[in-house]
Amino acid sequence: MADVARSPGLFEQVWLVAGLRWRILRNNVKNKNRVWDVIGVAISSIVGIVFVLGLAVAIFFATVSFLDSRHEARFALLFWGIFLWWQVLPIFVAGFSPTFSFRSLLRFPLNFSTFYFLGIAYGLADSAALASILWLIAMIVATAMTRISLAPAMLFAAALFVAVNVTFERLIGSWVEKILSKRKAREFFLALFVLSMVGVQFIGPAIQKYQKSTKPNVERIVRYARPLPASLAGEMIARFANGDLAEAGAAGAGLAAYSLLLGGLLFFRYRAQFQGEELSETLAPARGAAKSAAAIRGTAGPELGLLPATVAAVIRKEFRYLFRNGFMATALLFPPMLVFLFTIYFSGPHPTSVKHAFSPDLFFPAMMAYVTLMLMAPSFNCFAYEGRGMQTYFMLPVPFRDILLAKNFLTVFIMTAEITVCIALLKWRVGLPPLPVFLATIGALIFAVAGQLTIANWSSLTFPKKMEFGKMQGNRQSGMAVLIAFAAQLVFGSTCGLVLFAGRAGSNPWLSLEVFLFLAGAAVAGYIAALDPLTKLAEVKKESILDTLMK
Amino acid sequence: MSDAAILTERLTRKFGELTAVDNVDLRVSAGQFFGFLGPNGAGKSTTIKMLTGLLTPTAGRMQLLGIDFSRHPIEMKRQIGVVPEGMGLFERLTGAEYLTFVGRMYGLDKATTRQRSEELLEFMQLADRPKTMIADYSHGMQKKLALAAAVIHGPRILFLDEPFEGVDALAAGALKALLGRMTERGVTIFLTSHVLEIVERLCSHVAIIDRGKLVAQGSLEELRAGVRGAEGRTTTLEEIFLSIVGRGGAERPNVEELSWLM
Repeated sequence: MADVARSPGLFEQVWLVAGLRWRILRNNVKNKNRVWDVIGVAISSIVGIVFVLGLAVAIFFATVSFLDSRHEARFALLFWGIFLWWQVLPIFVAGFSPTFSFRSLLRFPLNFSTFYFLGIAYGLADSAALASILWLIAMIVATAMTRISLAPAMLFAAALFVAVNVTFERLIGSWVEKILSKRKAREFFLALFVLSMVGVQFIGPAIQKYQKSTKPNVERIVRYARPLPASLAGEMIARFANGDLAEAGAAGAGLAAYSLLLGGLLFFRYRAQFQGEELSETLAPARGAAKSAAAIRGTAGPELGLLPATVAAVIRKEFRYLFRNGFMATALLFPPMLVFLFTIYFSGPHPTSVKHAFSPDLFFPAMMAYVTLMLMAPSFNCFAYEGRGMQTYFMLPVPFRDILLAKNFLTVFIMTAEITVCIALLKWRVGLPPLPVFLATIGALIFAVAGQLTIANWSSLTFPKKMEFGKMQGNRQSGMAVLIAFAAQLVFGSTCGLVLFAGRAGSNPWLSLEVFLFLAGAAVAGYIAALDPLTKLAEVKKESILDTLMK
Repeated sequence: MSDAAILTERLTRKFGELTAVDNVDLRVSAGQFFGFLGPNGAGKSTTIKMLTGLLTPTAGRMQLLGIDFSRHPIEMKRQIGVVPEGMGLFERLTGAEYLTFVGRMYGLDKATTRQRSEELLEFMQLADRPKTMIADYSHGMQKKLALAAAVIHGPRILFLDEPFEGVDALAAGALKALLGRMTERGVTIFLTSHVLEIVERLCSHVAIIDRGKLVAQGSLEELRAGVRGAEGRTTTLEEIFLSIVGRGGAERPNVEELSWLM
């Protein structure tokens, strides 16, 4: 018999959970062992608070303005904005890195009703929810100050709206938790998210192109959205203001029905969790299944020409890691996508941001520099995703130069492929520059890549930082590696720029190419000469590298 | 000295002020199944890391198979197999891909690597999930794969840090039999485990490290001779361990302090 004096009450348990969340937040900040991380957290917190308070003020004045101008129907827009914020933000914040799983509370002796109400309280303590509630309070206060007769309706609509939102967010949250408990789903969602972030950039040019048909489409969407909660909340206020009490009551009843329905669905989700829903990723071995001989035969991969077997083995492993890392694999699409976007904005047949398109002899080198900037960045922390496997590199009877060579070979291969695609894209959209400029740019690329790879190898060994697959929040690059990459790219970029402009200004169109061929030769020689010292550096740094990457 | 597979002299490793391994002199003969024991934080894993090249000693000397490790690290790594603490697996590969990678890195040709990978996966009962990534393996499956990778090149010395942790009884039995056969063929096995029954059953020789210092070393019989057990009964390794480690003044938790649990 456990000697428990009494069962804690519901409010005591809610208080305990709130305390737990606060301690997790505080310890996360405390654990930041780098000053820059703390400064980053402080700055983002201040920006977040200013954003939320600023919007609260804006919503206050928008409410006053709607009431003064008797445009109460426009409240639906404010409710829609709050609804989207409340529902979408937690998915991105919590979805990729849950710092605390609500389900873990199930190991304590809770009864189901307590578990359910704790879930609701947990949802209300979310940062998106707190901001949304603050904005709703701004609407209520503004209504009370502008037209007191409408304040009870606003209060009632806001309360129902909170009930709908908190149950809906918890419902989505529990489904997201279920879906993202699988590694593959997590990585897929991350890739989708990253892709959508880049895709957003295309909205501007698309709106510009299809400007005429945008307004009717938006109006159609708004019409279809009328039976949804945010529109119902706006409808309730507007009808009440016009004295249509029956219509206002119907809208309110609709909102109440939504909250009951979502609360009911949440009840069934939480009951499944309460009864011990299994979200484990690890599978038990299926004994007696088909033999794997064929699968093993396929693991050797293609022969890689004259490369030593050890270098080839690491390259095959790197290829597999690249295409199994949703974020990195998706990032391969960015260079052509962004080059295409830049051609829309600044060059090509119909640039949207400048009157006269940039000429290819300026645009081409600029785009090549941008692509190099993007593709070289991961090389400055090239062991980030090795995790525990880093130990294997140090256990194997292989000089570390082979591992560096293999990683650099893959970088060069990817760059060659991406640059080829981008050149084809630029030829189609903008046209290629004159041959001397084209060849000089290629020479500049060889110089910049060989030079940067040497520095990137040193940076990877000296300032490693672990990153995890399928994780977004907290998965930041090594601060020092970013600084080194930035400095290296600044030096190489400005050197290349100077040489190219000197070539344009002078009378010899081939001068830039000649200079770049010399610089590229020197950079490649430097790269080869640095491999052995870097191998020694790896031996010296192995303890700190393993400590950092195997945490 | 020449017949020793593993030999260390005054091997020391310091982390700042802390001396994790303090002047350790180890001698393990070729073909021995050697158990390396100690309480948590005693310096077992640090010693194994130094012996396998994952950690540089602060002072002292180590020889494997008569060759100085610090002078010929690549040659030495070719001769040894390791299941390190943390296992060192590339989790985004499948088991077969990982074994193929390791085999090729040890210089095995393609056909040999393929054949050994198939046989090892079958033996370890990992062949039935050819497309499952290591990240999705259970802890025990990962341990078995790490062991398969450690032996794929036929090492002459095998270092195993807690090799049976998380492995089911069925597989553990097969692994123990395999390791026994390897020692019969002259392979030296250096094993750490907290499960003293396993060490007692497998190992012919044992060393005990406590707070970084080697406090006992010898065959099980030699260690038994130094400890008096109950009359008419063979002293167990647990009794030897508790007697030696306890002698050094190590604090054992006082159960009476948790009287409310009893």
